[in-house]
Amino acid sequence: MNAPFKRTQLYDWHKKHGDIVPFSGWEMPVRYTDIREEHMAVRKGVGIFDTSHMSRFFTKGPQALEFLQTMTSNNVRKLEVNGGHYTTCLNEHGGIHDDLMLYRIDEHEYIWVTNAANGPKISDHLKKHSGEFDVKVEDRTNEITMIAVQGPKAMALLSTIAGRDLAEFNRFTCNLVNLSGNRVYVCRTGYTGEDGAELLLLDTPCSDEGKRRAIAFWKLLLEQGQKFGAKPCGLGARDSTRLEAGLVLYGNDIDEQTSPIEARIPYAVKFKVDPHYIGYDKLKRQKEEGVTKTRIGFVMIDRGVPRDAYPILLKGESIGRVSSGMMSPLLRNGIGLAYVKPGVVEEDDTIEVDIKGRLRKARVTKWPFYDPEKYGSARSQ
Amino acid sequence: MTEGTNVPEDLKYSKDHEWVRVEGGLVVVGITDYAQHSLHEITFVELPETGSSVEADTECGLVESMKASSDIFSPLSGNIVEINSNLEDAPELVNEEPYGKGWMFKIKPSNLEAEMSTLMDAKTYSEFIASAE
Repeated sequence: MNAPFKRTQLYDWHKKHGDIVPFSGWEMPVRYTDIREEHMAVRKGVGIFDTSHMSRFFTKGPQALEFLQTMTSNNVRKLEVNGGHYTTCLNEHGGIHDDLMLYRIDEHEYIWVTNAANGPKISDHLKKHSGEFDVKVEDRTNEITMIAVQGPKAMALLSTIAGRDLAEFNRFTCNLVNLSGNRVYVCRTGYTGEDGAELLLLDTPCSDEGKRRAIAFWKLLLEQGQKFGAKPCGLGARDSTRLEAGLVLYGNDIDEQTSPIEARIPYAVKFKVDPHYIGYDKLKRQKEEGVTKTRIGFVMIDRGVPRDAYPILLKGESIGRVSSGMMSPLLRNGIGLAYVKPGVVEEDDTIEVDIKGRLRKARVTKWPFYDPEKYGSARSQ
Repeated sequence: MTEGTNVPEDLKYSKDHEWVRVEGGLVVVGITDYAQHSLHEITFVELPETGSSVEADTECGLVESMKASSDIFSPLSGNIVEINSNLEDAPELVNEEPYGKGWMFKIKPSNLEAEMSTLMDAKTYSEFIASAE
């Protein structure tokens, strides 16, 4: 429990410019200036996040596909070279062991990018199961700096640095690109709801030279980003942007006791897969026979800020609990995700949130919480 | 962090980081500069209702920041005679002017003398927050 905190290659910069907090075994910046300002930079310009604390496992070998299909619930066969998708890794009961991005970078090579908190557990899980396959799993978390560049102007910023139009890469692709002399996997994905990319900056281990390279690249993003309204963003804005987009957070909204069907992330679950993944049968049964809880979104009608674990009621009867909640910087209103009994509420129904003993009205709504015409990756240009 | 924290000489302070200013027969209450700085982005303030009675050291409201939810404790007993309704639309006033426009409520105290003596003066409060670091 008292193991020393880990630090990313960019720690020295964060320490100088931001507020550092402990997070999943790492010392990470929670903010640099103001979470709301950082949040709005993501929605209107560019937000730049250090996400190097996330774990990165490289899986390589002739049976990499079969192995990963056993481990994850999306259809790995559908993943083309230079493609990526969101998926889940399940336990035998169909609960979520981990949620992750899987990128295919070569015919027989994939990158598994996941939650910092789940890194050790997933490392063990992959080791345990990979023995039956002709694959090699390598944890390369410490060799690569990872930076998320997110927002409506993110691709314009990256294209400026690359000297070519990187928006020509489709969403959910992953390509090796030269960015200012660095070898970088540009993954057209993110965790904010906005357009942008997650960058895997290769050749930047946690050595003095690696840190120097990583910080130089980070500074380049910030300098070139000035004209695009770019701001460095901490974990505070990472959480607030993902929640406004309705994206789940492991440990809050999903866990070992929650399935992807209950979490309503159907795009991460496929049943026409070969071989079947761990948890497949349990999930199939849930799909056919139904679930005992389901995720909803809600926005406050009364004043108040919902928080994790606050009870949700319908006409005075308890129907579930909040899994994530906050004051939305964009809406300037309380929003949240909750798990409730299935079939008892639908969109636009009024529910109540028990905020420290006071019942406050809220409206059931779909996510994202923002107007997708105005914000997010699908906004009208 | 206590360096540069504003602790005005003319106020009294509670261990829950509220400040108190006696004005005529009333007492104005808010949260301290140290408290607002620790909370960072204040997004929501819920105050007791005007006319309600409050007890010293008991919870009577709520301050929400981006990262945390904190109770407001009344430093004194009495009746709430006025609340700062500007905070409903502009909770950031608490960050900007914790001792000014960010004040929270006014109490008509019921046990002023005895309860005031339990509060800290500026020097004691400064030491209190320094030791909490």
